[in-house]
Amino acid sequence: MADLTLDDVSKVFVENDGNEITAVDDVSLEIDDGEFLVLVGPSGCGKSTTLRMVAGLETVSSGEIRLDDRVINDRQPKERDIAMVFQSYALYPHMTVRENMSFGLEESTDMPDDEIASVVAEAAEMLGIDELLDRKPDDLSGGQQQRVALGRAIVRDPEVFLLDEPLSNLDAKLRAQMRTELQRLQEELDVATIYVTHDQTEAMTMADKIAILDDGQLQQVGTPLECYHEPENLFVAGFIGEPSMNFFDVSLDTADERLVHDDFDYALSAETQSALDGTEALVLGIRPEDISIGGDADDDHRYETVVDVVEPMGNENNVYLTFEEGDGSETFVATIDGLERVEEGERVVAHVPEDAIHVFDRRTGRALRNRRLESETATEPQL
Amino acid sequence: MDSLRNSLQRLDPRSGHGADEPVSREREGNRFAQLRGSDFVESIPFWLPATLLVLLFVYGAIGWNVAISFTGWSGLGQPDYTNFTLEMYRQMPADQNFRASLRNTVALLVAFTSVSLVVGLGLALLVDRKIRFENTFRTIYLLPMALSFVVTAIFWSWMYASDGLINTTLAAVGLEALAFDWLGDPRFKLAAVIFALVWQFSGYCMIVYLAGLRSIPDDHYEAARIDGASTLTLYRRVIIPQLRSSTIGATVVLMVFALKAFDFIYVMFGDNPGRSADILAVTMYRQAFSASEWAYGAAIAVVLFALALTIIGPYAYTQYKRGAL
Amino acid sequence: MATETSDESGLTGTVSDLSLNRVALYGALLAFVGLYLSPLYSGLTTSFKTQQAFTQTSPLQPPIELLPVPHLEGFTIDPWLTAGSELAFSMINSFAMVIPATVLSALLGSLTAYGLTKVDWRGQAFLLALFLAAVFIPYQAVLVPLRQFWSIVDISSLHERGELVELTITHIAYGIPICTILFRSYYQTLDDELIEAARLDGASLARIYRKIVLPLSLPMFAVTLIYQFTQVWNDFLFALVLLSNRANYVVTLELNALQGSMATDYGVQMAGAFIAALPTILVYIMFGEQFAKGQTL
Repeated sequence: MADLTLDDVSKVFVENDGNEITAVDDVSLEIDDGEFLVLVGPSGCGKSTTLRMVAGLETVSSGEIRLDDRVINDRQPKERDIAMVFQSYALYPHMTVRENMSFGLEESTDMPDDEIASVVAEAAEMLGIDELLDRKPDDLSGGQQQRVALGRAIVRDPEVFLLDEPLSNLDAKLRAQMRTELQRLQEELDVATIYVTHDQTEAMTMADKIAILDDGQLQQVGTPLECYHEPENLFVAGFIGEPSMNFFDVSLDTADERLVHDDFDYALSAETQSALDGTEALVLGIRPEDISIGGDADDDHRYETVVDVVEPMGNENNVYLTFEEGDGSETFVATIDGLERVEEGERVVAHVPEDAIHVFDRRTGRALRNRRLESETATEPQL
Repeated sequence: MDSLRNSLQRLDPRSGHGADEPVSREREGNRFAQLRGSDFVESIPFWLPATLLVLLFVYGAIGWNVAISFTGWSGLGQPDYTNFTLEMYRQMPADQNFRASLRNTVALLVAFTSVSLVVGLGLALLVDRKIRFENTFRTIYLLPMALSFVVTAIFWSWMYASDGLINTTLAAVGLEALAFDWLGDPRFKLAAVIFALVWQFSGYCMIVYLAGLRSIPDDHYEAARIDGASTLTLYRRVIIPQLRSSTIGATVVLMVFALKAFDFIYVMFGDNPGRSADILAVTMYRQAFSASEWAYGAAIAVVLFALALTIIGPYAYTQYKRGAL
Repeated sequence: MATETSDESGLTGTVSDLSLNRVALYGALLAFVGLYLSPLYSGLTTSFKTQQAFTQTSPLQPPIELLPVPHLEGFTIDPWLTAGSELAFSMINSFAMVIPATVLSALLGSLTAYGLTKVDWRGQAFLLALFLAAVFIPYQAVLVPLRQFWSIVDISSLHERGELVELTITHIAYGIPICTILFRSYYQTLDDELIEAARLDGASLARIYRKIVLPLSLPMFAVTLIYQFTQVWNDFLFALVLLSNRANYVVTLELNALQGSMATDYGVQMAGAFIAALPTILVYIMFGEQFAKGQTL
């Protein structure tokens, strides 16, 4: 059982034409023993490269990867005490499930055959695939293949468990089911785990800790709720949450103590204003579920809007609003209760409460003020 | 704000995934571009023996051949590498035999390649029309490719003989006037060779084109039909243009083969087929191995090699550029 | 589909026109069959004819006549027996050379393709370009040095069969490029994660080849072995240059010699051609699919 540490890890690829591409840029992470870390980010952000460096499939350009206190940068993959589940599962098509699961133990340990057999049987039972041991991967369903891939990793009894988008080949129903199963399994195994995904829903629901990566750089590390409610920058704010946070480019009018947008003004309390530290070019952010609809446009944070499109989701409606009818004015989205009826073209009043707004420095993207979070009133994250 | 939104759209995980994933693989680097020193060392035993053999037997030999072509080596004895001369190349332009065989080589190359492609395309189009016994037809058309040139040359010698199948058939249908001494008459020798080689290679063109045709999605046929295209238009405007890469691949193979077509002519006519059917590959052999004019033979081989390079070079380069290697 | 299209184009309209179209299609296909089989047909009829039948009948006519009454006077298998006894030793030589040459070039091609495709390092593309170019090189450009090389590395002086060994090694060397290219195109389609998973499982490159890549390459081995077998069996040029002792002649060379010595006896020549071609024809008929695949890659 061990802790995994990444210390200023970078990966630079040199292309054929000599150009250098920094895929991973000074990433530092700590994954404690038994912790489930989800590495999330858009396609091409460097998350898979990071994982592959930990696995030893990719060299480390600079920085250190440590397992407890041992630096493992230069160790062969098999000497790292890790196991990995691949996106394509990478099951050996010519071997049975049993042979697939035994292969790693045969290659990397001196374990006697009967012991290997019992370890494999135990893992298969744990995953509910003991019936499938004599079948070939091609005869299995996607979900079953997924389990075999997990089983192959589990039998190795690794110090670190790596998963590279393991659910992306499953259909939506199965994915939700495997999500919970994976979590249960990880808790049972109680081993440090890095899970790579581009899907923020998976990140939010499964992680003990989320690390958000963009363009090779670590944006934020924190619990799912921290990342959701207290994003450190615009990228994290926009990436986490579904539908995404609404953003408005605004500028600060210190004299009138308000934020000015082409379509509206937003009055600020002294407290909020002090957090902005005089920065003028700003972005105002508000999560769709924090906008409520109804009432009169009688105070500073209520606005006359027109309903552009309504997306009924069943339990809730995503309502796309504009400040003015016609083109030109942008839409923003509010999530309201599914039973509330709103018609397209209807005029409604939208309330943007000040305790729920985020304000970012438009130039650096850094969050200057996040929503006020009182634990008892914190809204459940919308995924 | 719009620009911000646009830039954030890129990050929207919903819109991103599917289509972007291959890109991410590229951006995150060539999967195997991880030069682990030890892997390289570990991989040496796999590719080095074969690479050394190829370097020695192919590239070393080519270099050696060039070197020999610069000596005046002939007859018994060994080449003298201390005295390099361009004499062998100088004598080529004046050599009537060389000029004739160069001309014949080019004629063979052009006629053989183009006719084989056309016949192969025709066969492919016929076979691709959802026919019964497709496998049998395909097998028969491709069969000559499985035969040695020695074998086919013997078959065709008999076909072309004065009382062979061609002439007796012509006589049987009253076309005696067209029965010629195909292999003896200088007017027909080369054409007879080309015809037989087309017979042997058109099946190859057929399967190359068939593979090309089969890779065109059915949608294209259906879309063209909905657009109201006739069968002719469908093939001329929609299908055949998509066979470009098949054509290029087959053309390279055929042209390179035409340059080295040796066995067939040698078995039919021996090492001296006469001016009308002599080609460089045969001339080279005759000069070097029959007349022991080793250096001159080597020089002719260099010319052949240079001709082949003008065909392979651009092909290999475009393949390399397209990342097909 | 095609017939429906012509229907819509308004060129034709009735069912009988459609089937007429179909008839023309099959007519053309059969005409080509006639053309493609005619050299083999004339060879086959001739090889079974007595000398008398040969001079008296056209090559179109089979040796067995059923009308007006069946008679076998023109039929003989003598040409086959003659050709068979003439070619027997060279067939054995061919097999002795072809089998090791084919297996070793395929194996080396597979190993090389694995080393150059599934383990990456700089310069791979360059080496592969060299292999690809080597596939197309006209062998005339290496004949003189090849003869020189084997007169220096003179295996033939060590043993009377030495020439055959030289020829075998030559075929292996010149077969490697195409085998490598064939295997490479296959290995490129192999999931890279499979190799990575095996590496994480602790297997060395050699173990990965042995346990994962080799078993998965079996279909490609079939294609490559068939391709190489046909190529090497059918080769004439290298044999012509490297073999001087008649006892070492491979079948293509001996067949050519047979043709020279029996210039007028077409029956023996044809039977000999069939005998020499028999192994490749059998392979072709049994593994047509793999043969075609090897040609198109």
